[in-house]
Amino acid sequence: MLNIFKRLWQVNWAEQWQYRANLIMYLLYWLVSPIIYLAVWTSIANSKGSVNGFTAGDFVNYYLVLLVADQLTSNIVIHNFAYKIQDGALSSELIRPIHPMLTNTLVNNLAFKALILIGFTPVWLILTLIFKPDFSGVTWQGVLLAIPAMLLGFIVGFLLSAAITSVAFWTTRVYSIHEFYYALILLFSGQFVPLTLMPKLVQDIAQFLPFQLFMYYPVQLILGKLTTPQIIQGFVVGFVWLGLSILFFNFVWSRGVKKYSAVGA
Amino acid sequence: MHFLKLISTFFKVNVQMSLAYRADTVVNILLNLMWLGWELLGLNIIFSNTTSLGGWGIGELIALLGVFRLINTLMIALIWPNTQRFNESIRDGSLDYTLLQPAPSMFLVTFSRITVWRIWDLVLAVILIVVGINTAGDVATLPSILTFLLLTISGAVVIYSLWIVLIALTFWFTKFDNNVTILQALLDAGRYPVTVYPVWLRIIVTYIIPIAIATTIPLQALRGELPVERILLFVAVSIVSAWIASLVWKAGVKRYSGASS
Repeated sequence: MLNIFKRLWQVNWAEQWQYRANLIMYLLYWLVSPIIYLAVWTSIANSKGSVNGFTAGDFVNYYLVLLVADQLTSNIVIHNFAYKIQDGALSSELIRPIHPMLTNTLVNNLAFKALILIGFTPVWLILTLIFKPDFSGVTWQGVLLAIPAMLLGFIVGFLLSAAITSVAFWTTRVYSIHEFYYALILLFSGQFVPLTLMPKLVQDIAQFLPFQLFMYYPVQLILGKLTTPQIIQGFVVGFVWLGLSILFFNFVWSRGVKKYSAVGA
Repeated sequence: MHFLKLISTFFKVNVQMSLAYRADTVVNILLNLMWLGWELLGLNIIFSNTTSLGGWGIGELIALLGVFRLINTLMIALIWPNTQRFNESIRDGSLDYTLLQPAPSMFLVTFSRITVWRIWDLVLAVILIVVGINTAGDVATLPSILTFLLLTISGAVVIYSLWIVLIALTFWFTKFDNNVTILQALLDAGRYPVTVYPVWLRIIVTYIIPIAIATTIPLQALRGELPVERILLFVAVSIVSAWIASLVWKAGVKRYSGASS
């Protein structure tokens, strides 16, 4: 099995490496909206002193750590899998004795992540020079807790995206559903603003949804802003969603593959 | 007259094409409404924590959202589909036939594909602008509304011209086919007044990829913040940029040699 992953890594890394020229465009896309939110909220915090306890410096810390968490927990399943169902390219992967989603696609995502990190690291360092965050509140305990939290976030996010992409077995076009899913992430993950500044209703719902695992929860862990009960609750909710997303993915996938009849050749 | 006839023909053709995807259109309109809801919720969250953003009130920001959506519609309804078609036609050589037709090629290349259902988005944008201006109350006067309209149009012309230059670069660098991505990536900066951004970002979105000229500047005119000479300057900029774009386009077409034959 290890050999299979090693070979898949070589293939997928070579594939991703071809697209390194698109890296700049991708980084630009991924940078612009957090920086805009950062600018908006620091400007408000500066004019009032603080927003609900968040000073301008707090916002800088929050969004700069968020960039890292977003990078580590996100995935590109919809972009490299949906078209395989649509044009029938999945057929050749289905006859292999390994799971197409949990081996090849997973490794492809990891290769993409590795490539992105090469471009991301210097950009992030430049951003810390520009915005001068104050990371004195960061403890090694927080970082150590955030690593499994982000791993959990990545796995749950990957399985949810994989399940949603598998809806393409029935509908062929799946981008609209994915857009709706993306809006949920935007609303409940803390990407727009730290969840504590959201309306009470959104906060109450968000703490039971998986989306805060992608950004808000690991960011607050790293910055040491959570109490012990909050930390425990976050992990419990995370593991429950891990179980739910495994069930959900298996359910959609096993029925979808039966439904699949290759288009084209 | 000639151009109006052509546009109305293009429009009819595109309506027919989009009728083939009715379900898709309904889903897209629903998604569009969802995003509008999200944008308004975002403004609501911002203004539940403050009374002004960069000196602007919620009315102005709703109007700004309307202007942003106008430019966004320009991107999605016109710029993306036509860019895609243009890039294909350079690769497979079918641009030859466009060039042979008895109408300006720049016009044909940039208007032949229209995502028709997005017209709906223009209506929404106008509603947002009207509601925003009303909410802003005493800020807007008749002359300021007129300069606002003038500068919105000239801002759209600047974006359109920049787009033409970007796609015309494909004549020189064939590989340059994710040319429009940079416009789209920075477009989001148009949602908020650029005065809240750090200086370097403000410079980028005002002078290099001038999203602000089409979003923040018209709103400043609405608030009566712009002196007459700056209004004239922005109108002049839009005329000059359209002129430069047409020059670059002509030079590009001269360089073009068909790909297929």
